[in-house]
Amino acid sequence: MENKLNVQDFITTGIFSAIYMIVVFAVAMIGYIPIFMVALPPLIAVIAGIPFMLFLTKVKKFGMVTLLSVISGLIMFLSGGTWVPLLTFIIFGIISDLILKLGSYKSRKMSILGYGIFCIGIMGKMLPMWVLKDSYLGYMTSSMGTEYTNSVMWIFQDWVFVLLVILSFIFGIIGAYIGEKVLDKHFKKAGFA
Amino acid sequence: MELLTNKSYNSNINIDPRTKILVLIILSFIVFSDAPLYSTLILISIPFFCLFISNHKKAAIIYLILFIFAQISLIYLVPITHGALNTISLTFGNLIARMAPSILMGYYVISTTRVSEFVASMEEIKVPKSIIIPLSVIFRYFPTLFDEIKSIRDAMKMKGIGLNFDSLKSPVTLMEYFFVPVLINAVKTSDELSAASLTRGLSSPKQRTNIAKVGFTYLDIILIFLSLLGLAFYLLYSFGGITIA
Repeated sequence: MENKLNVQDFITTGIFSAIYMIVVFAVAMIGYIPIFMVALPPLIAVIAGIPFMLFLTKVKKFGMVTLLSVISGLIMFLSGGTWVPLLTFIIFGIISDLILKLGSYKSRKMSILGYGIFCIGIMGKMLPMWVLKDSYLGYMTSSMGTEYTNSVMWIFQDWVFVLLVILSFIFGIIGAYIGEKVLDKHFKKAGFA
Repeated sequence: MELLTNKSYNSNINIDPRTKILVLIILSFIVFSDAPLYSTLILISIPFFCLFISNHKKAAIIYLILFIFAQISLIYLVPITHGALNTISLTFGNLIARMAPSILMGYYVISTTRVSEFVASMEEIKVPKSIIIPLSVIFRYFPTLFDEIKSIRDAMKMKGIGLNFDSLKSPVTLMEYFFVPVLINAVKTSDELSAASLTRGLSSPKQRTNIAKVGFTYLDIILIFLSLLGLAFYLLYSFGGITIA
């Protein structure tokens, strides 16, 4: 019973999934400016750092990060995405959960590392851009026009993808540090964390 | 609990939550791909119809007018314009014609589905609790969250903090100012919801009973039929290369 998630954990996960989704959608809006599209995963990683670190203080059992990943992936799927983010979210959510378990859900270093790993999951939203390059380019040309497509053409190279994965991780770590600082400053003394 | 009730709920028209979600998935699947016009037309009529029969007549009519303008801009303006004008008319057209249907359907689903109905229908198709509860929390928490964000932005604006040049010089402080009130509210809400869930017996391991009546009616059948028809047209077009009409 101790290690099973209860209703309170489900509710906490739901609330923080909602906040995470708001961050993702808000940041995704600036993706309309061509050059910013590649900046989405690192930006989301930094901005979601504060809520996620607060979420991690509520996590005491295995599976909550995975659950948040599943829910976020489902919401992304329902709101008109592909199933790819669902898959990558689950994979990196489980890895992140395992890392947190290694630190027995208390270690700060493991929390920060876990968030860094979790952040890579968002790359699933971008993955179709490289895997289905041709159909994606076709869709983009039909929906945004040839000029937009030509201006973002350079993104569709493999090294950009690898770079973005690394950047998401690094910015995740930075976001987690900011999150920890804000937690110390505001939530610890108010008794929220 | 204001979070758990819904003002715009109309008891006269009952569409099963499962139908709504199925239609939402099909809509979001198609509007983002390059679907032929007749299949789009069938599919966009669904959110219009849903909004029209519920308490959102105004939104439905505005949406219809915008959609017509978007199609006009896509069909007539795009081929004859160049440069920035071309980009603007393309972006406007696609934003309205492709994204608005699923956004509006999502709005309809969220604003007309009661949490108890949602939970009841999901329990009926044996979705695990670990998925139902977070999703229902999100359904009800999103509108509150938007309200909170709006008030926080207003409060920040009064002090001259916002997306302007001065405050963007220190983005971390901006994030801090924004997230701390949001998160404090979030933690409070999650405590309140946990208390509410206890009284609703959500944590009981036994099978729950539901007051909310869910079930398929002729309206559900029409909606499912229409969305499947649109999907079939789309699949025929994109995989079979068959064009009807």
